[in-house]
Amino acid sequence: MTCCHDNQGPTLAWFEDMIPHCLEHAQAAKSQGRPIVGILCEYAPRELIMAAGGVPVCLCGGDLEMIGPAETELPANLCPLIKSTYGYHVQKANPFLEMADLLVGETTCDGKKKMYELLARTREMVVLELPQKPDDRDAFTHWYAELAKFRDGLERRFSVRITDEALRDAVRKMNRERKLRRDLALLMAHEAPPLTGRQLLDCKSIISCIDADLEVYASLLRELEHRSHEPNRKRVRVLLSGVPTVHGAERVVDLIEECGGLVVCMENCTGIKPIWEDVDEEAEDLMKALALKYMSIPCSVMTPNDGRIDLLSEMAGIFKPHCIVDLSWQACLTYDVESWRIRQWAEEVGNIPYLRISTDYAPSDSARLRVRLEALFETARSHRQESHAAHSA
Amino acid sequence: MIYAGIDSGSRTIKLVLYDTVKGDMIARAIRDQGLDQADIAASLYRETIRAHLGSAATVAGTVATGYGRNALEFADAAVTEITCHAVGVRRLHPEARTIVDIGGEDSKVIRLNDVGKVQDFAMNDRCAAGTGRFLEIVARRLQGSLDEVARAAADSSNPAAISSMCVVFAETEIIGLLASGVPGQDIMAGVQVSVAARVAGMLGNRDPGPVHLTGGVARMPGMAGALSRALGRPVTVALHPQFTGALGAAILASRQNQSLEP
Repeated sequence: MTCCHDNQGPTLAWFEDMIPHCLEHAQAAKSQGRPIVGILCEYAPRELIMAAGGVPVCLCGGDLEMIGPAETELPANLCPLIKSTYGYHVQKANPFLEMADLLVGETTCDGKKKMYELLARTREMVVLELPQKPDDRDAFTHWYAELAKFRDGLERRFSVRITDEALRDAVRKMNRERKLRRDLALLMAHEAPPLTGRQLLDCKSIISCIDADLEVYASLLRELEHRSHEPNRKRVRVLLSGVPTVHGAERVVDLIEECGGLVVCMENCTGIKPIWEDVDEEAEDLMKALALKYMSIPCSVMTPNDGRIDLLSEMAGIFKPHCIVDLSWQACLTYDVESWRIRQWAEEVGNIPYLRISTDYAPSDSARLRVRLEALFETARSHRQESHAAHSA
Repeated sequence: MIYAGIDSGSRTIKLVLYDTVKGDMIARAIRDQGLDQADIAASLYRETIRAHLGSAATVAGTVATGYGRNALEFADAAVTEITCHAVGVRRLHPEARTIVDIGGEDSKVIRLNDVGKVQDFAMNDRCAAGTGRFLEIVARRLQGSLDEVARAAADSSNPAAISSMCVVFAETEIIGLLASGVPGQDIMAGVQVSVAARVAGMLGNRDPGPVHLTGGVARMPGMAGALSRALGRPVTVALHPQFTGALGAAILASRQNQSLEP
């Protein structure tokens, strides 16, 4: 990891061992008889799993090596995230997946949905049906019912009772983690942010609410709150939108930053999207509060997905990006098609230079992506010069 | 003052010497790309400067562009071909608002704003179907040089339908067409239509203003016509279409020097 400033404490380095930490945590939990529940999407309500005494672990695959094995059963023309996740299943190479007592999927993507059917041949699987017209009257009712079914299912499967007290406790914990991670992300609003986008991206864990992680988030915040890193002032500020860049699949973030950009905001599921809103921990009906929070995630599966435009507008206001990079994994239809709307928005919101990147986990197109990114940054710099000139004229 | 711009592309290396007093190019040179691209570029650079400016001469600044832009030690800076084409084409054609560049291994569409700065751009993704390489492969299959085959294609009145989206499969399709007696000129004309359709797709339905075509493929007879039919608007082949990137780089070298001066 590169140093972001002098006297950098040991805190950022903590996340270099994120996977070993999580493995240790999961193994300890397992040996205490706690269930391990694999999740495959940010719509999965971790709070319910935690309230059932379980440990939710994110199983999204980010490893290129797993794609070959996946293609023995899945079509090649499919999103690399689905293939990589499935490759781990074929190879039995993800210890968390092998440890899992239950998997929770959702209907955010048809490719995933059909892949879950294949997983379910040998693994215990629950699929939450997510309504896709979020503004419809009955959408919320349906989602609420799905979560209630999930709660009952967890209780039956693990012979526990999920008390309101345990649920409220889990909500508080998750809110605390979301707030810490949100506050860390907000450090990037600074004119000379203390971190790179990649460093911020690494401050995460595939298991939420591990006590040690929360402490590190908090101490990082204390350490960095009033810090700036001057060289970052000169970089082109990038708002990265689109698909998640899960653990192992960070290459586009790296390319952006190698080409002179600084990812100041990630409006995606490995960035701000799932942590921007909390669950109302004081709500009388906690299930309703949970359903409300998760339903409001602006995934591209939603139609229309106005929430993404709202969130992007809010992020643009806070993080003052010089350009937008809209990332889509190959064959991710919903993000691919929605990119047209994002381009329109970028133009309307103030002519922010916009670049759509469609790629997968393989580095074969890195030289070509570099040309595009460098050209985007040249364009962004020249737009800024133009607007500076206009302001001073 | 004389500035140099060098465009190290996937198929050829192009060099332009630009005189800021005349506001014009004083030399253009081109050489095939090869294994040791840094060496080929360096000798092209040295020899062209010697031939046009004398043995002891140097230039006031050099900007490199193209895929090999970061590998050239004699260049003072590297700028992408998107920015360079925009600057170069705009110098030769001040009215240009849309640039279509079809090179050896990529094709791109660049939209300019009213003052000639890059508004946005699009490039072909992981595929060579809309590029010069595609046309070369077809010419080889038709057993002629690209120039010969393209000249013949210009007379085609019945371009063959090429539906494959993949260069390799298109080659198979072409073998089938040849076997069923379709003339080579119609096949090449069909391939030009297919390349043009690809590029038109990249441009989308956005109002592009005057369209200028650059890159090696612009020199092919019939290509501008095919593109014009696909876009439904006139397409002008830029002056010195292979050199607009290098020209832009040389102009940027002169601007870069200005900004360094106190």
